Amino acid sequence: MGYLIADPHRRYEIRCPVHGFIQIDDWERQIIDQPSFQRLRRIRQLACTDLLYPGAMHTRFEHSLGVVHVASLLYDSIVQKSREALERQLAYTKEGLDRDRQLVRLAALLHDVGHAPFSHSAEDLFPDRGRGGKKFGHEDYSAAIIRTELRSAIEDHPLNENTGFKADDVAALIEGSAAAKRALFWRDLISGQMDADRIDYLIRDSHHIGVHYGRFDHRRLISSAIAIPDEKNQPPRLGIEEGGWHAAEALVLARYFMFTQVYFHKTRVAYDIHLRETMKTLLPGGRFPKPSGADLREFMKWDDWRVLGLIGKGKGGEHAERILKRDHYREIYYTPEACTDKDLRDLRAKKAKLGRLLVAEESAKKSWYKTGTSDIPVFSKVRSPQVQPLSKYSKVIEGMRENNQVLLYVDGASREEAERRIKETSKRR
Amino acid sequence: MRDIQSARLATLVALAEKKPLLGRTAVMKLCYFLQTLRNVPLGYRFTLYSYGPFDSSVLSDLSTAETLGGIESKTVFYSGGYGYEISPAGRSRSVRNLASGFVKKYRSDIDWALERFAKFGSADLELLSTIIYVDREFATTNERLTADALAEKVREVKPHFAEEYIRGKVDYLRQEKMLRSVRTASGRK
Repeated sequence: MGYLIADPHRRYEIRCPVHGFIQIDDWERQIIDQPSFQRLRRIRQLACTDLLYPGAMHTRFEHSLGVVHVASLLYDSIVQKSREALERQLAYTKEGLDRDRQLVRLAALLHDVGHAPFSHSAEDLFPDRGRGGKKFGHEDYSAAIIRTELRSAIEDHPLNENTGFKADDVAALIEGSAAAKRALFWRDLISGQMDADRIDYLIRDSHHIGVHYGRFDHRRLISSAIAIPDEKNQPPRLGIEEGGWHAAEALVLARYFMFTQVYFHKTRVAYDIHLRETMKTLLPGGRFPKPSGADLREFMKWDDWRVLGLIGKGKGGEHAERILKRDHYREIYYTPEACTDKDLRDLRAKKAKLGRLLVAEESAKKSWYKTGTSDIPVFSKVRSPQVQPLSKYSKVIEGMRENNQVLLYVDGASREEAERRIKETSKRR
Repeated sequence: MRDIQSARLATLVALAEKKPLLGRTAVMKLCYFLQTLRNVPLGYRFTLYSYGPFDSSVLSDLSTAETLGGIESKTVFYSGGYGYEISPAGRSRSVRNLASGFVKKYRSDIDWALERFAKFGSADLELLSTIIYVDREFATTNERLTADALAEKVREVKPHFAEEYIRGKVDYLRQEKMLRSVRTASGRK
């Protein structure tokens, strides 16, 4: 790739409805200009959520820019507050920290570049890896696109003379490979309990949808982020200073509220089913192509526009038709959010009674947007022990349980009969 | 509940029953060892962090197993840090029975993993699992390394460990025939 760049140090500003201005450099701009990144303009962040919340039209493109911004703020806060721990335990120098800051920015920018149409809706259709029941994930596609389509844009820019990055370095940090070396410490900023991805999507989704559930004091949280010094010969870990624990508590609650009110909303889940089934009809063999070679190039041709175009032409079968006519499946039964053994037995009874009327069963456990239960470490200068989990500070967090709710669906036409059968099982108890 | 989900929950309960007071890091790494070294099809998607192979789904499953009454988790503190102790709870049998056939089929693998790894502390388990992870990355591309070279690669990820310490753990895993990419001085695996 040849570049004619008047000033490789020129900086650019992009307006963002959440963060104001997002600054990028010329190198990042060249990457953003690549067709594989521009494809993200054609992938909506929340699939068909606009059928419930009309404002949910935002894309992976603006989210990716937001993640770069938040990741940089987190990185700078941690370096400012924890430089000594990073130098002592991970042998960082100023040059090393500057280098990895750029690496984190590139990984944040590109972490979602491998998304399928309509984001997570049809990820069940990713092909199998082979043994062990594992499927490819969108991160595998991101890494593959970085190593192929984006290699030249990453490696050949003049600014890379200062860092010498290979595309593999960026891919390794995203996919979690030993090739990322000590930079793996920063992987929690891309994919972790309080990562830049999560911070950005909660606030951005709330903004566009018009809800307040996902809002929290992210600036306080970011300014509290630190690398917690070693515990029992372990590496430093991402955590927060004690002063930020209420902001961290609010992050966890924001996730919970967004999950229950938006991401696992009964109608949104119904449209995810219809999208998945539509994609199954549209994709050759009912599966996405693999993330390599010609298959990867084929995968990249799939975006929301193509799928919507095909739906508009009458392709996609019964489920595409349902999306067009807003004739979605109807929720007929739901378990409690923290489903017990007894609730599971009740569920089995309801399913048996519904018989063939039951058309879909969706579990919160399967959702990409899980509520999450792992603790954030909190560091105190005055308490003993100095490091305690957030759940020891917050009674609310301590009482939270993983959401394993299950939703059952029937066709709208059989709703009355299904309701009658559900009532019958309740009477018998 | 899907089959894989039931299998995971039953396995977590089986681990806790066999070895009460397991730490949460231990459970995470034992699941990794079961899946990677014994091909137990748990379907987790482990990727590497500075603290070793990790999949948040394991924590999510632990929480579900707790909600179902299969296990209980207690926070414990020690100087400079904290951890979680996991033990079987009142309904452990019921949760294990969600996939009793699976547990029966892989019982010897569960026992094998506990026997070899439950004796280690969390820092060692993070190191041992990282060594296995790095080894498998090289084995996947058919690259062969010396034990020293593998230890060096691991140290690039975990620079807070002394080189000799990592080398000692590489030797342990090699003696246990758990490594695939390491060749002997004569060039054989």
